[in-house]
Amino acid sequence: MLVFTRRRHETIMIGDGIEVRVLRVGREGVRIGIVAPPDVPVHRQEIYNQIRDANRSAADTAHPMAAIAEQLRRHS
Amino acid sequence: MTMAQANVPVDRFQVRSRFADADVNPGDVLMFAEGLPGYESVRQFVLLDVPDQAPLKVLHAVNTSEPCFLVVDPKRVLPTYRYELTDSDRQRLGAKDDGALLWLAMVIVDDAGAVAVNLRAPIVINPERMTGRQVMPNACVYPLRYVLGQ
Repeated sequence: MLVFTRRRHETIMIGDGIEVRVLRVGREGVRIGIVAPPDVPVHRQEIYNQIRDANRSAADTAHPMAAIAEQLRRHS
Repeated sequence: MTMAQANVPVDRFQVRSRFADADVNPGDVLMFAEGLPGYESVRQFVLLDVPDQAPLKVLHAVNTSEPCFLVVDPKRVLPTYRYELTDSDRQRLGAKDDGALLWLAMVIVDDAGAVAVNLRAPIVINPERMTGRQVMPNACVYPLRYVLGQ
């Protein structure tokens, strides 16, 4: 892992399209701004992981489609 | 042309999922530029209507048998459902106006057979550009697993 020391408003460049800037340093955390091209996804890792797990569960669904459709039609 | 676009099928093709088979027109392929969390390398999907299974639809990967999702309009599950897209989401979808966008929530069935819907991270499709992405809010009032019958 590359390790840098950065002060407030200082930036790290990754490649020529990604900029990571330290906006504020506090006792509880660091506020970071990121500029990235539209095809580079940027997410908080814990949220990304939760959604990845939910997607895997959704893709594993093997329940009969008709039974789920019926539940959805009844639900309103 | 990006790598992901290079492999768009040129002829009609068959999709065989565990829920339905379909004959698909290449013009119906949706491009997910970032893939989906857990399936980052899968960039092309088709949305299939299955006879008699409304309001469910099937979102199926192209050129690979996995993943395959059952999806439903989140407003069908929660009529008050409302989600504010970010400018970044709009830009990535190539969307000028939110009115044309199609919203889909993934269905998750647990081992006990309880049906839940992911209202937290919906899939948004822009039919005008045939683009799609799963939007991931940093703050959201809706659950990842909204269980039907609540």
